[in-house]
Amino acid sequence: MTSVNQYALEVNNLAVEFTTYGGTVKAVRDVSFKLRKGTTLAIVGESGCGKSVTVQSLMGLIPMPPGKITSGSALLDGEEILGLKTERLNQYRGKRLGMIFQDAMSALNPTMTIGNQIAETLIVHRAMDKKTAWVEVLELLALTQISEPARRARQYPFEFSGGMLQRVMIAMSLACKPDVLIADEPTTALDVTIQAQILNLLRNLQEKQGLSIILITHDLGVVARMAHDVAVMYAGQIVETGSVDDIFYRSSHPYTVGLKEAMPSNKTVEQELRVIAGSPPDLFAPPEGCGFYARCMYAMKVCEKNSPPIFGNHHGARCWLHHANAPAHILQQSLKDPTN
Amino acid sequence: MNKAFAPALADFAPAPARQKMDTISRPSLSYWQDAWQRLKINKRALVSLYLVLGLLIFTLLGPILWNYDPALQDLDSISQAPSFSTTALFVDDPGIWEGVLLQESSTLPPVTGQSAVLGATRLNIEGTATTQYVRLSWEPVEGGAYYLVYRNDHQPESAEDLGLPLGQTLTARELSFEDRLQLQPQTYYYTIIASGGLREASDFATEAVELERAITVSQALERNLPATPGTRVELSAHPFGTDYLGRDLLARTMMGAQVSLFIGIAAPFIFVLLGVIYGGVSGYFGGKIDLLMMRFAEFVIALPFLLFMILFRIGFGIGPGESGIFPMLVALVLLSWPNVARIVRGQVLQLREEAFVQAARLLGANPAYLIFRHMIPNTMGLILVTLTFAIPMAIFTEAFLSFIGMGVAPPTPSWGSMSNEGIRSMLSTPHELLFPAFFISVTVLAFNLLGDGLRDALDSRMRSRE
Amino acid sequence: MTLYILKRLAIGIVTIWFIATATFIAMHLVPGNPLANEKATTEVIRANLERRYGLDKPVTEQYIIYMGNMLRGDFGIAFSEENRSVNDIIREHFPVSATLGVLALLFATLGGVLWGALTAIYRNRWPDYVIMFFVILGISVPSFVFAALSQWLILNLNQVTGSSILPVAGWGNFRYMLVPALVLGMSTMAYLTRMMRSSMLEVSNTDYIRTARAKGLSTTRIFIFHQLRNAILPVITVLGPAIAIITTGGFVVESVFAIPGLGRYFVQAVAQLDYTVIMGTTVFFGAFLVLMVILVDILYSFIDPRIRLQAEQ
Repeated sequence: MTSVNQYALEVNNLAVEFTTYGGTVKAVRDVSFKLRKGTTLAIVGESGCGKSVTVQSLMGLIPMPPGKITSGSALLDGEEILGLKTERLNQYRGKRLGMIFQDAMSALNPTMTIGNQIAETLIVHRAMDKKTAWVEVLELLALTQISEPARRARQYPFEFSGGMLQRVMIAMSLACKPDVLIADEPTTALDVTIQAQILNLLRNLQEKQGLSIILITHDLGVVARMAHDVAVMYAGQIVETGSVDDIFYRSSHPYTVGLKEAMPSNKTVEQELRVIAGSPPDLFAPPEGCGFYARCMYAMKVCEKNSPPIFGNHHGARCWLHHANAPAHILQQSLKDPTN
Repeated sequence: MNKAFAPALADFAPAPARQKMDTISRPSLSYWQDAWQRLKINKRALVSLYLVLGLLIFTLLGPILWNYDPALQDLDSISQAPSFSTTALFVDDPGIWEGVLLQESSTLPPVTGQSAVLGATRLNIEGTATTQYVRLSWEPVEGGAYYLVYRNDHQPESAEDLGLPLGQTLTARELSFEDRLQLQPQTYYYTIIASGGLREASDFATEAVELERAITVSQALERNLPATPGTRVELSAHPFGTDYLGRDLLARTMMGAQVSLFIGIAAPFIFVLLGVIYGGVSGYFGGKIDLLMMRFAEFVIALPFLLFMILFRIGFGIGPGESGIFPMLVALVLLSWPNVARIVRGQVLQLREEAFVQAARLLGANPAYLIFRHMIPNTMGLILVTLTFAIPMAIFTEAFLSFIGMGVAPPTPSWGSMSNEGIRSMLSTPHELLFPAFFISVTVLAFNLLGDGLRDALDSRMRSRE
Repeated sequence: MTLYILKRLAIGIVTIWFIATATFIAMHLVPGNPLANEKATTEVIRANLERRYGLDKPVTEQYIIYMGNMLRGDFGIAFSEENRSVNDIIREHFPVSATLGVLALLFATLGGVLWGALTAIYRNRWPDYVIMFFVILGISVPSFVFAALSQWLILNLNQVTGSSILPVAGWGNFRYMLVPALVLGMSTMAYLTRMMRSSMLEVSNTDYIRTARAKGLSTTRIFIFHQLRNAILPVITVLGPAIAIITTGGFVVESVFAIPGLGRYFVQAVAQLDYTVIMGTTVFFGAFLVLMVILVDILYSFIDPRIRLQAEQ
């Protein structure tokens, strides 16, 4: 351990609940992950698994009530940011912690020019006057490859295309040169070519500015393209973590295997796509044991009543198959792989 | 592995076949069931639903339970405050009271002019004080040129508190006063002040008098009541009091409810239906037809609403002071449908583009099937909400027009026309205005809150997030 | 933009024509011409009517004469007063109504926005409950009750203080206008408060407010620069109908407070069956409201960039 933190962001045992009239939803349960500096960590999972709630609670964006962070800590370069008062939190978010959202059209104020929306961050966090801020805005727009920045800056969001707006969002979140950028499904709403452009842009910016990125997505293609490390989420828990190679080539959780098989590839042309039968558990009443028990083809008696711990270290999986007493199984190889 | 749990070998046997994977743990509810569930947890909406039911019972069953002729005038008990007390004392006809005069033989106390200090005097009540009459007499006061009589509802604290005098004597010889002015069965505070001409006394005598309700023998005979002076009789109670013609306000409020709610509910039902048909046709066909139909609807919306309500009334040949319940209904329908049409059209236009309607069309569904199976069920919620909000609007319109004398005219009671009559005597007998106004307010409030609740319950997209 | 305004004006003119026609039809609904009413007693008035309205001619010709008069901005002549034109009456009484109306609208809009914003800020805390209680009162209590109640309050106030700062009725300087304008704007303010509240809450749940928070802006800044502006927009769209409600609401308020406005004159004209005044005033009010709605639309297009762009295209 050196005095300089190895991790840009470290989240430990995060748990988030929502109280609704139907009961309490345990949306995030005991989530921990680490983001290495200058790398991209992808959080993957199907919709409703809690990935967005996880990052929004880091940013202090979940409405409270009904939301509630019941436990956990989040260290941004060693400083605790979870549970801060709004005024304290505002010294981090927008400044050292940037965020971009899925639907850029609705995420931008419709009655404010995009130039003003970007400049606002600069004026608030970097104490610039309007004029200098405007110069910086034009530079940021150019950086995110928007042509004619001077003209575009004076336009309103509805005058832009979806891909352009996502660039604007990126420009806005990078205005204060943050350490960490959280991208919540930044390309889901875009078509494939635009998606590729945005991803390339993010990667270039990462190289240029040494940015650490948390990328939320349900698209394994995006993961393969962007991520250094991956965390797979299922039913409010992280079920497998590891490097991108670990996840793709040495999957050690049945759910990750299922996800991978459900992804179309050029080999699947001949055969049918495999799907994971069933649907995720109801988080109003999360199951006692493993969340994946009902859908798992390798399920064992132990899985029904006992929630598995994470086995493994850098490459870890939340699955009883990796217990020392478990019968021999093909997935066990992955964790014991010498490269791990 | 932070947990103490250590699984045994046997635990790692394959799990038995599990239950069907796609079970949904919560019960599934139909659209209307779900809406009802949501409405039930909305306390305000539920209370307003009960209020609406209560109002309907009041209107429909009320006149059966409270069988009292709303048109019956009783000039002996006009503008009576609400009360349940019903007993009255039979008294002889009051006749003429000679009063108390200072004896001729005794000399008048000298009038000492400006410097005179005018003292107080003792007050006596002659006979029994009833709502028929109160007879006062008093001792002469030295230096009094005449006497002033005051009547108050409360114990006066100072001379400034007395207000305007009820009456005065002409001379210093008269030592009595008979009060027969709109007496109510309550406690009055009578005050006598002797006046020296230019100055009045600073101290005075006050007597609290409790009045009993009484009717005279001749009045009893008019009502075919067997009357013996000195006995008591049960009279009809007026829980809401009476109006300026002595008519029972409870009966009139019930009767007025029938008129107000008839207009307030019948008119919205008709114009919502009309609007649904118009808007549905316009939205379903779209294109040029839609454009033309909506232009026309916009023209009708542009008509100044209340002015045209009045104009139609005149057009139907109804003069001032005449009741026009039916013309008001027609005018309301003629002027109010376009707003509903616009809302329904918007919904139908939106539905037409919905994937499930497109899919049904692709599968060869005919227009009738589309309309009855897809369009109408999916607009029902919106229509119901629109209807609920249209009712208070119509009730307000009726009240407003009747209030300015352009709607239901006396003697037909409606809440609006009753308010119109009540406002004239608002300062002295506020209950004549308050009861009809209260009912208008509660009805409008109940329907508004019910509409809010329905809107929240029926469509999450329309939620007001209150 | 100019094209947009011209287009709106053109539709407005057609709408006014429709109002005038509907007025004419409404007055000719019953057989027997109401204009040939025995109410017009004096010879002078009768002669005037004959000349102005062509009463002896068939209905179609009467309609043409009527529309011709309207086109020249001539709203007709009074029935019950000799040689008095409706234009004269409007000129005399409308400024009073307009003053009262503008004051009421100002009060309703400012109050609505302010109270609405407050309830949203203090959502589900006591200021919210207190304001919403009054809003519910404002929506469900008829204006004539407020009018009566306020008169009673003024009377008592004047009695207690022994002064007469606020007159009970009549018309004159600002002291006379204050209470009637408050009463007139009451229900509109209640509606606008409610609308502003739900609009504020809706905006506070939008993605762009979430973005603003993610940008680390202070709550105050978000409120002023992002929430308020977007929340006011829907309130502005209903100002047109609000003006209509306030204008006609003036009938009651003017009657109760004995204010010599056009609304009170209209009510009196109806009571006297002064048909020509009724017709003229109706068309005048209708045209006025149409113009107000257009004005609000244009104002709105200046405030909302989305509409402005649409209008420019």
